Parts: sequence; structure tokens; C-alpha cells
Amino acid sequence: MIPLNWYLALSAIVFSIGLYGLMTHKNGIRMLMCVELMLNSANINLVAFSSYNDDMTGQVFALFSIALAAAEAAIGFAILMSIYRMRDMIDVDKLNILRW
Amino acid sequence: MLPILSLIVLIPILFSAVTFFTKTKEQARISALVGTLITLVLTMYMYFSFDSTSAAMQFEEAANWIPSLGITYHLGVDGVSMPLILLNAIVIPLLIIYTWNDVRAAPNRFYALILAMQGAVIGVFISLDFFLFYVFWELTLVPLFFMVNIWGGAKKKHAAIKFFIYTHVASLVMLLGIFGLYYNAWSLNGVPNMDMAYLIGQFQFLESEIARDAIFLALLFGFIVKTPVVPFHSWLPDAYSEAPTAGSVLFILLKIGGYGLFRVMLPMLPFTATPSLMITIMGALGAISIIYGAFLALAQKDLKRMIAYSSISHMGYVTLGAAGLVSLSISGAMFQQFSHGLIMSIMFMSCGVIQTKTGTSIINNLGGLAQKMPKLTVIMVLGFMASLGLPGLTGFIAEFLVLTFSFINVPIYVMIALLAIVITAAYHLWALQRAMFGPFNEKLGDIVDISSFQTFSMGIIALLVLYFGLNPSPVLDMMITNSEHIVSLMAVMGV
Amino acid sequence: MAMENLAFLIPLLPALAFVLTFFLGKKLPSGGAIIPIIAIAISCVISLSITAGLLANPEHVVTQSVHWFAILNLGILIDPLAAVMLSMVSFVSLLIHIYAVGYMSHDPAKPRYFAETALFTAAMLGLILSDNILQLFVCWELVGLSSYLLIGFWFHKPGAASAAKKAFLTTRIGDVMFLAGIVLLFADIFAILEGKLPEGVYLLQFEEIFKFIPDLVAINSTILGMEVSHLTIVTLLFFGGAVGKSGQFPLHVWLPDAMEGPTTVSALIHAATMVTAGVYLVARTFPMFLAAPGTLMVVAMLGAFTALFAATMGIVMNDLKRVLAFSTISQLGYMVLGLGLGAVIGAEAVGVSMFHLINHAFFKALLFLCAGSVIHAVGTHDMRQLGGVGKVMPITFATMTAAALALAGFGIPGTSIGFSGFLSKDPIIEYAYLFATETGNWMPYLFAITAAFLTSLYIFRLIFMTFTGKPRSDYGGHESPSSMTIPLATLGVFAVIFGALTRGTFMEFIKSNFEHLDMNALAELGGYHISAHHGAEPILILWMPLIVAVAGLVIAYLIYNKRVIDMSRIVSSENPVYKLLYNRYYQHQIFVEIFSVKIIYEGLALASFYSDKMLDWLVNGTSTFLIEAGDSLRKFQTGVIQDYAAAVVAGVGLLVILVKLIMEVF
Repeated sequence: MIPLNWYLALSAIVFSIGLYGLMTHKNGIRMLMCVELMLNSANINLVAFSSYNDDMTGQVFALFSIALAAAEAAIGFAILMSIYRMRDMIDVDKLNILRW
Repeated sequence: MLPILSLIVLIPILFSAVTFFTKTKEQARISALVGTLITLVLTMYMYFSFDSTSAAMQFEEAANWIPSLGITYHLGVDGVSMPLILLNAIVIPLLIIYTWNDVRAAPNRFYALILAMQGAVIGVFISLDFFLFYVFWELTLVPLFFMVNIWGGAKKKHAAIKFFIYTHVASLVMLLGIFGLYYNAWSLNGVPNMDMAYLIGQFQFLESEIARDAIFLALLFGFIVKTPVVPFHSWLPDAYSEAPTAGSVLFILLKIGGYGLFRVMLPMLPFTATPSLMITIMGALGAISIIYGAFLALAQKDLKRMIAYSSISHMGYVTLGAAGLVSLSISGAMFQQFSHGLIMSIMFMSCGVIQTKTGTSIINNLGGLAQKMPKLTVIMVLGFMASLGLPGLTGFIAEFLVLTFSFINVPIYVMIALLAIVITAAYHLWALQRAMFGPFNEKLGDIVDISSFQTFSMGIIALLVLYFGLNPSPVLDMMITNSEHIVSLMAVMGV
Repeated sequence: MAMENLAFLIPLLPALAFVLTFFLGKKLPSGGAIIPIIAIAISCVISLSITAGLLANPEHVVTQSVHWFAILNLGILIDPLAAVMLSMVSFVSLLIHIYAVGYMSHDPAKPRYFAETALFTAAMLGLILSDNILQLFVCWELVGLSSYLLIGFWFHKPGAASAAKKAFLTTRIGDVMFLAGIVLLFADIFAILEGKLPEGVYLLQFEEIFKFIPDLVAINSTILGMEVSHLTIVTLLFFGGAVGKSGQFPLHVWLPDAMEGPTTVSALIHAATMVTAGVYLVARTFPMFLAAPGTLMVVAMLGAFTALFAATMGIVMNDLKRVLAFSTISQLGYMVLGLGLGAVIGAEAVGVSMFHLINHAFFKALLFLCAGSVIHAVGTHDMRQLGGVGKVMPITFATMTAAALALAGFGIPGTSIGFSGFLSKDPIIEYAYLFATETGNWMPYLFAITAAFLTSLYIFRLIFMTFTGKPRSDYGGHESPSSMTIPLATLGVFAVIFGALTRGTFMEFIKSNFEHLDMNALAELGGYHISAHHGAEPILILWMPLIVAVAGLVIAYLIYNKRVIDMSRIVSSENPVYKLLYNRYYQHQIFVEIFSVKIIYEGLALASFYSDKMLDWLVNGTSTFLIEAGDSLRKFQTGVIQDYAAAVVAGVGLLVILVKLIMEVF
């Protein structure tokens, strides 16, 4: 059996990749994908702990979060599509008309 | 047996909703009038079956609401609240008649707000559960805010926001006080209970002296800002003078601050850690309000602002009388609330008429109106005389009781208040002389007297001022019964 | 018996007449004057019959009482003191109402006039028969209101509107003192009873108050280092009310200005009835004054000073009505002095003072009505434009001369022969002499006798300037209608003979008023020594009042009729004494500009105005500060998602470090 720490390490790496992508990219779709990565790293954690503790709750949570991630992605892409139709770009830095 | 107390709150609110959806001015005013008249009939029925020799709660209604938090739907009236409910039930239909032919935008919303206000204010007076009390207390803010904000004068936005935030902050401080009392009593007895009488009764058992004083001061702050008392009054002149006439009258009928003093503060007063300090605070603030308000009224150039400041001055008697701590001084203070509501309604209505007919309320721009408006002059002189405390009219009864009986416990503040009587007479008569008497100011153009609707509503209030001035017993007796009860509660401590 | 039960109708009928006339007057002939006339006539009949009953049996005092509110009552007390006042007020008021039908016939606002005078009469009668101090105060304020309304009757004239306000405010100062007296009195009684108010007893009734006099004297407070009895404070405060209402110095300033109202109003309110309310108040509570150490001295001195002070101004006024106004102030000073003399003659002072009050009411009302008759006929108040009016108005001239003789006090000393004014003023001056010999304080006597001389001088100056000589302008007068001359003649008869007919009876009658109280014991409480011997003054003192009166008449005759002295040298703006008197000692300037306006209005009102602005600025400042603070703080919200993400990561990092640290510490 693979030790728990390996899973945690994998999760941390995936999370860090996602975080790095989120903070460096300005393209909306890339950022959304990075958020997905971060979510999935959390899922890895949940499933790992679930199997390690022999408790099914963690896997149920993982399923929930996958469903949520799907919903979030759908809404996120829909918003980005509309922005693209209005502005011909999805650079989030330029979307500041509601600021202040 | 009808659930009469629920009805007198629900009917105005229900009719408020109906009025809101009417299409024309005619429908709106008729719907509003019908709603208020039903309330009036119910209130009169309640008044005539009211036992003024008993200090107990009458027409009580109680039901569980949120049992886990000890919150109940508990209503009742006694001699403290009955006259104030009567005041609201009588003046508001007359106010609607007074505005019968006014031309204004969105009459449906206007009348809906008046009715909502009536429901909320009566709700405050009959709630016997702190939670319910607070809900109605905050509800009164809403109609007044919109009243000023939509139909107000030149600086209406400023006045509305200022009024809302100022009094809302005070209400939140009061809410803190309520919570302090509630949680302390909860931890003391292990059961949550929001009932007013219960919590007020538990106040004396709180162990921490600091907690008792802090709770008392927090509640007091909430009430005296609403009353209002100098120096927490600066929302009032703006709000009263920027509001439309109907709004000013609604402000006048909002007697919840003084009501709180009698209902909540006085029974708690002897059990604070420093009762004499609390009496000093209340007495001094009352006396200062009386004289400071009078001087400010003397310095005003605008008739409506002058009346607003005179209102501050008069409400000082309520605080002073409450601090007097003798049953008749407290009754005098209660009577002052009732009397002030009637008198100030006449004053603001007169001022409103002058403002609409002449287009100005700056006193020096008026002059000699008595020649063109004899009916208004008669009613207005009566209102002004009542306001300056002429015997035979309601103001005198209240002022006499407050001054005479407060002197027993707080003589120095009474002396200060006595000094203000001449100033009070001075600004009233000076304003009358400049606005109504002397040669007619021809620049004002052609002016006609008040309409028959206005004569009717102002005349009825004027007659009530005269009637209760000559025969105050119908409302004073129940006040005395209850203030004796309050004093007997306090006598335990022997303040 | 039946009449006594109707006593409550005495004030109620005129009150009803007020309501009826106010609403229906327009539809009736001559402004509905008939309603108040009938009402007051009935009141007068009831009053007179009660008085007659009391005369026969002075013990039989009429009392009625009903509960009003709280611990207070409304009640009627008609003892000899109230009875004579009631009879006089209702009778004079009736005559003046009849006279006003003619006098006001050209005025369009007649219903308002008659309604307001009916209201006044009701309030005045209510004041007189009050059995408790609060009801007296209520009516006291209501007569003040009627006075305000009637002075401002021609409200379109700026002068009238302003005079009305001044009258109300000046008397209001006195009223506040009166109210403060009631408040203090009640608080003391409350303290004496230790807060336990007995059931069914109305503590503010005069009879109840008198029972507390010994206890009240015993309560002392230290004021400015002096030990003062509370009864002295209470009585001085009451007297303060009387000073305002009865136009005593320094609150007399409103009375001359009050002449802006119709002349009938001046006759009714500002000569015969309302202004005597202050004197009546002191008479009514006289047992308290007698038991209060020091008060009666103040009363006597102030009365004497006012009598002289007002008389000096009376001799230079050129306005017919203003001369009479100052004369009223001066005569009220005599009445107050008469009460103050209670310090040496005890309860008899009430009789002396009241006798002068009643006589004064007749002859002063007559003087005003005659003046009104002249004004009605010629249309001017200014004596410099009159002269020779006596030829066209013989009845007015005759009655006015009778009234002037009564005012100046012509009669034979030591007998009951003389005009009514003589018979009532003479005892006051004589007792003032007694006061001087007993207490060594000569000021009241000297002032009173000097004022008597000036009285004679100013009133005959008025008579000679107005009625004799040649017309000084083209006025074309005529004698007044009979509705005006009949009241004149009636009052004239009273002014001449009332004093002579009733003197002895009157004194006895009023004396019986306080017989149920031990007045000597009360005087001892007040520290007064009541002198038993009087009537034994030197012959010169006895004849002095007549001598000065004749001297005044002669001087006035020589100057204003024979013109042996050229007045134009004295009457000029160069003469400082004349200027001082003509400008009424600059009181107006002193009171209005220095005291009221400068200090009260400009000072305090504006100070509080600006302090309120400050307070408002603080409140508005708080909100401005919060808005500004929010404005700067929201710049942190950059809107760049990466910034937010960085903040989140930094926050989580910080949290981890914190948790780590805390874990290590514990």
C-alpha cells in the first residue's frame, strides 16, 4: 500500500501548480482551469484520507466537489463567453469597470 | 372576544398594502381613510371598555413565537400606552382629511406610508415582548425615511439619511442593552425569555453593578435620542422641518422615546448601582432641553424650524417629569406626551397651510395674514397659546404637574425650567406678531383662507386641546393609576 | 338660599356668552352685544343678591367645590372680600358693555370685540370667586389672554400688535413668579405632610393653605447668606405676580402701551378690573403676607414708590389715555401701599386697600369712559389739539370733573363727607403716617403725600387742557349718544357718593372676612407689632391730603387755564427733567434694549444658535469622516484577481505560522 504521505505530496504539488497558474495568467479560461486543478488536489486529499481512515464520507465529499466543480466550470465558461462576445477578449485585468 | 390589539396593528398595515396598489388619488385617500377610521372605531371601543382604575395589562394576547429563544407574541395595554394609542388613532384620520385636496406625486405610496406608520407606532405601544417591541420600533423608521426622502423640502436627502442613521445607531445601542439584559437573565435563570415585564423584573438580580449601569445607560440612550433630548437632538430640526406637513405630524406622533422611559427605564431606575446619578442625568437633560430648546426657537427665522425647536423644549418636560419620581410628576410627563401630540399637530398643520398658500415659511417674509385667513388665525392662536402653556388648554395641565411635583425631588432643574417659561411665551408671541398680525405684506399676493377639510381636521384637534385642558381626567386618571403603580414598584428601594 | 346655589353661574354665563357671541355674533344686530349684556346682567344680579345676603349675615360664606383632576378641585368661595369684588366687577363690566354698544358702533369686528370682553368678564369673575390658588392662577392667565387679545384688537396696526405682545410678556414674568410661588408652597406642604397626602382634602384651597402657615414660617433656607423663611419667599413670589398684573414698578411698562386697545377695553381691563387682580391676590392671601416676616415692608415700599414714580410721568404726558394709564399705575401703588400698611394695622389693611380699589374702579372707569367719549366725538387722543371740549360735551365734562375731584381726593378730613376717592385715599395716607411713627420709616408717607399732590396736578391739567379754553384745532365734536352718557352718569353718581354712603359698613364687612383666623397671632409670626392707637395724628397731618389736592388744582388752574406761567420754557427738549419724565425715565430703552433684546435675544439666543450649529457640525462631521475614511480604504480593492489570490495565500500562510507558534507555546 502506498503511504498516505505520497498522496499528500501529490495533492500539494497539484495545488501549487494550480495556484501558480492562477496567479500568473490573465486569461480567464486558463485561470478557470487552474482553479479546477486546485479543486482536484483537494479531491485527492479527500479520497486519500477516506481510504486511509476507512470512512466513506470523504469519497462522498469528493463526489460532491466534482459535481460542484462541473457546475462552477459551466457558469464560469458561460460568463467568459458573454464577456468575449462583448469585448473580444477574456483578459480579466481589463475587466474593472465595477471597481470603486 | 375579539383579538382587538392584533387588529389595531394589522388593520392599518393591511390597508397600507391595499392603498399601495390603488391607482388614483381618490381611491388612495378613501382606502386610507377607511383603514384609519376602522382603527379609530376599534380604539374607541377599547378606550371605553378600558378600566382606568387598574394598573394591570388589559386586553392581553399571548402566543408562543420562537420558544427556543423565549420569544413570544405578547400584546397588552395599560394606562401608559392607552392614551398614546388613542392619540394616534384620533390624529391620523384627521391628518388624512387635512391632506384631502393636496396635490402631490404618488398619492398611493404617500397614504400607504401613513398607514404603515400608524400600524408600526401602535405596535410599539402594545408590544410586551422586547423582541416584538424592537421589531416595531425599527419598523417606524421606514415610513418616515421615505416620507422625508420623497416628499420633503430642499434638503430632503440629507435630512432623511441623517434621521435614519442617527436614530438607528441609537436603536442599536438600545438593542445591545436589551441583549445584555436578556443574556444576563438567561445565564441567571437558565431559561431564555424576552418578555418585557420579566426582564425588567430580573434587572435587580444581576450581580455586576457595572453591567446594571451599562444596560441602563444603553437603554436610556436609545430612548432619549428618540424623545429627543439635548444634546442628542440634532437629527430633529432637519427632519421635522424638511418633512412634508404630514410627515412632521407623524414625527410628532412618534412618542416611543418617552414611552420607553415610563415602560422600561423608571421601573429599573432604583436598581441601578447609582440611582441618584441616573436621576441627575435625566433631570439635567430634561431641564437643559427645556431652556436650550426655547432659546433656539427664539433665534430661528423659519417658522417650521421654530416649531421643531419648541418641540424639543416641550419634550424636556417629559424627561424632567420622569426624573421627578413622584406619581403625579410622572403622570404629568405622560400627559405632556399626549398633549404635545395634539398641540404640535395644530402647529405643524398651521405652518403647513402657510407654507403652501404663501410659498414661504420665513417669518419675516410673512405678515398680517390674520386679515386674509381669519379661520386659520383663530385655530393657530389657540395652538400657540396651548403651546406656551396657557391654562385651560392641555399644555398647562402637563407643565403644572411636572413643575410642581418634580420640585419635590429635583428642585434645581425645576427652577431652570421655570426660567424658560417667559422665553417660551416670547418666541410664540413674537412669531405670531410678525407672521399673523400687523399690516398685510402685499408681496404675498392674493391669499385665501383654509379649506373646509383643513378647518374640520384642525378644528377637531383644537377642540380636543380645549376639552382635555378643561377636563384632563379621561386620560389623566389612567396615567395616575399607572404612575402610582410604577412609584410603588420603586418605593421598595426608597429613592 | 336659592341665589347661593346659582353662584356657579356667575362666571359660566359670560363664558357661555363668549361662545355664543363668537359664533353667532355676526348674525345678530350690533355684533351680538345683547348676549353678553344679558349674561353679565344676570351675573350682576346674582352677585348683588349674594352680597346682600352676606351683609345681613357675614358668617354665611358661600362655598361650592367639585373635583377637577388629580388632587385639585374647582371651587367657589364667596366671602365678603370676594362678594364686593364680584359686585363691582360685574356691575362695571355691565356698564362698560352697554357703553361699548355706542362706542364700537362703527367697528366691523364687533362680534369679536364682545366675545372677547365676555371671555374677559368670565375669567375675571372666575378669578375672584376661586376657592383655591390654582384656579385663581388659571383665571389669572385667562384674563391675561383676554387682555392680550383686546389690546391687539386692532391687530393690523403694528403698534397694537406690539403692545399686546409686550403686555403679555411683561405680565408673564410676574406670572412665572406666581407659579413658582405655588410650586414652592406645594412642595413645602408636601414636605410638612411627609409625602402623605390626605384623602379628600384639596390642599391648594385657601382655607387649607392658611392652616399650614405656622409650619411654613418655620421652614428656612439660606439665600445669599441670609436666613429666609419659606413663607417670605412664597409671599414675595406671589407679590411678584401681583407686581406684573397690577403694573407695579418695575413691571409697569406694559400698562401705558396697553392704551393701544379700544378705550372701553382700557376702562374695563386696564383701569377697573384686571389690573386690580394683583391687589386682590394679596388681599386674598393676606393671612400669609401678615405671617411672613419682612414681606409687608417690601409691599409698602414698592407701592409707595410706584405711586410717586407713575405720578411724576403723568404730569408730562400729552396723550389723554396715557395720563390716565399712569394715573392707574399710581393709584394701584396706593392700593398696594394700603396692603403693605398691614405691618402696623393688621387685617384692617385689607379693608382700606379694597375700599380704595372699589372706589378707584368707579372713578377710573368713569375717567376712561369720559376720555373715550371725547375721543369718539373728536377723533384724537392728543390734548394739545383739544381745548374747549366742555362746551360741546357738557355731560362728559360734568362727569369727568366729578371723577377728577374723586381722583384728586376732595373732602373734609375727619368726617365722612367727600368724594369717594378722598374717603379711601385719605386713610391710606393717614396710616402711612402711623407706619412712619411706628417703624421710623418715613418713605411711604412722604412718597404718598407727594404723589397726592402730583395726582391733583396731572388730572386738573388734563381737565383744563381738554375741556376749557379755546379749541386748538378744528375737531367739530358732538355729545355722545345716550347709550354712552347713561353709563357715564351712573358711574358719576357712584364716584361722588359711593364712598360717603358705604364707608363704615364696608370696613366692617371686609374686616369680618378674616375673623375666623387669629390675625394677631399671625402678625406675631411675621414679627409685626399691630398698633392699637390710631386717628390721633396732628391736625396738619390730618388736613395735609386736602391741602396738597387743592394746591394741585390751583397750580393747574393758574398754568393751564389762566396761563400765568409760560409753559413753553419748561416744556422743551432742553430741560433735562422734562426730557427724563417725558421719555418715562428711559425705561423703555433700558428694559427693551439693554435687558430683553440685547442680553436675552442677541446674547443667549444667538449663543445657543451657534452652539447648536456646532453640535450639528459634530454630527454631520462624524458622517463625513466615515464617508471619507471609506473612500480611502476602498482603494485596497484593486479589482485584480491575482492580488486577491495573493492576499488569500499570504493570509493562509500567516495563519499557518500563527497556529504553529501557538502550538509551540502551549
